[in-house]
Amino acid sequence: MKGAHLAVEKICHTYRRGRQQALSDIDLEVKPGEALALVGRSGCGKSTLLHIMSGLLAPTSGKVFIDGARVEAPSPRWVVMFQQPSLYPWMTVAQNVALGLRFTGRANEIASRVPEMLKLVELSDYANRNVQDLSGGQQQRVALARSLAPSPEILFLDEPFSALDAFTRGSLQRDVRRIAKDLGITLVLVTHDLPEAVTMVERAVVLAANPGRISEIVPIDLENRDDLRTPEYAKARSRLAAAYENAAGRGLRPTAEPAPTLRSIGDRQTQTSAVPAAR
Amino acid sequence: MSSTDIIADPADMAAGSDPDRTGRLKAARSLGFAILGMALLLAAWWVGGYAVQNNPATTAFADFAPEPALTRLGEMLSSGEAMQMTVPSLQRVLQGMVIAIAIGVPVGILVGRFQVLREVTNIPFQFLRMISPLSWMPIAVMAFATWDGAIVFLIAVAAVWPILFSTAAGLRRVDPSWFKVARNLGARPWHMLFVIILPAISQDILTGIRLALGVAWIVLVPAEYLGVTSGLGYSINDARDTLEYDRLAATVVIIGVIGFLLDFACQQAISKLSWHRED
Ligand SMILES: Nc1ncnc2c1ncn2[C@@H]1O[C@H](COP(=O)(O)OP(=O)(O)OP(=O)(O)O)[C@@H](O)[C@H]1O
Ligand SMILES: [Mg+2]
Repeated sequence: MKGAHLAVEKICHTYRRGRQQALSDIDLEVKPGEALALVGRSGCGKSTLLHIMSGLLAPTSGKVFIDGARVEAPSPRWVVMFQQPSLYPWMTVAQNVALGLRFTGRANEIASRVPEMLKLVELSDYANRNVQDLSGGQQQRVALARSLAPSPEILFLDEPFSALDAFTRGSLQRDVRRIAKDLGITLVLVTHDLPEAVTMVERAVVLAANPGRISEIVPIDLENRDDLRTPEYAKARSRLAAAYENAAGRGLRPTAEPAPTLRSIGDRQTQTSAVPAAR
Repeated sequence: MSSTDIIADPADMAAGSDPDRTGRLKAARSLGFAILGMALLLAAWWVGGYAVQNNPATTAFADFAPEPALTRLGEMLSSGEAMQMTVPSLQRVLQGMVIAIAIGVPVGILVGRFQVLREVTNIPFQFLRMISPLSWMPIAVMAFATWDGAIVFLIAVAAVWPILFSTAAGLRRVDPSWFKVARNLGARPWHMLFVIILPAISQDILTGIRLALGVAWIVLVPAEYLGVTSGLGYSINDARDTLEYDRLAATVVIIGVIGFLLDFACQQAISKLSWHRED
């Protein structure tokens, strides 16, 4: 298993027959094995971009290439994980994990690969359990195992941990990063959570809204990502927060639901989904 | 029990904290209520019979009363007459149901999946659904070579709608991310149908079948007033013509009991096959 190269060329996307421009002129490149984050305020088009990159959504214009080949449909070679685990409740944990192999005619690998994946996400004892008996964090681990079973070259994550409590979220963040690095998988992570981006990726693409466009690309060079108390970590975090705030401020237009910017609420650092402050 | 229940359930109070005992007590209690309900029904029948017998205008119908009717029922059961009139009816219902399922489920899936189809068919379907199946009787009689064929057609016409609408509504409620994930994992159209869609809506289909069976059983009796010389509807008509009101009442009991058993079987199938969790 190795990571794939991802290139996005001049992606534009409009919804509602052109009445709403969600993305405008996105150019982006992700190197094999790299971990990249897409950050930006709610509604700036992160999910749209992720869907387009994975082939789940056809862009209005522009192209996506994975390892030089045009992406026009989803494929188990690059897998998306969403905020909700979306497991199939009529299947056991193991059956859920085996699904990608079953669909792609690799049923002969199920016996060896499924236990291996469950071990990777530390759920070996749960193979025959009903997925409805699992906690939210465990369910998201099963979804991770299911995504990894077909040996994808890219893992797309759309706020995969945001529904989890802080402790579970932290351990899953570390696990996903470790697994992606060990297997060499390219990682594209959509998140609201700036500390999550700092912990997990080497580069963060900050998007501005209306229409969604790249405002800034912030490199995150950290020797040690597990220690959240180093000065380097704090520096990277505030650098990203500044870029985020800048993009959010510029992207703001009077809308039905005016989201507060960091500036408008002064120094008080609140944590809402619209304003992910540095923690 | 919901928190708004102010009056405590006596079964709960008596059983204390032992869940096994609570369950047994609850079962005993609901059995008790069922017996009470049946006793009330029987009493009403008896009172009705008594009134009929003592009214000079209706005394000819005295055999409707429980005693002669149940005596006759016993004879019909031991002589095999009951079986003889039930089997043809069950066969017709079964054939009608098979046709209704074979049409209702696929069409329901198409209508539930494709918005255009839904919009095109909505008004025609609602229109057709509201026509009593028995209004097709003259047409059915002309269109089919045999009386049996006409009856099966009427049953199918009555049964198709609940199955079709329940299937379509079930599919519309399916979490769209289940389709997205399956597509991403490489599902082919037949995978989508057999591995995702059908299990996802199995409960809705079965609920539709249960409703349809109820309707089919109701339509059966008047449909069997048509030319055929077998079945429960025919027996009712025949008993009326020969003034054997005890046989008529006994047949009504058979119809009710079998209808109840069919519904019970459906209910059991639903709770057996369902992956939905109560809590
Ligand atoms: N199916 C759709 N139809 C119409 N408009 C849409 C659709 N999906 C998204 N949009 C609009 O496109 C814009 C970008 O949406 P998108 O979901 O990509 O944002 P996001 O950055 O992922 O937001 P969030 O952080 O809240 O998930 C938003 O303004 C949204 O209202
Ligand atoms: Mg989103």
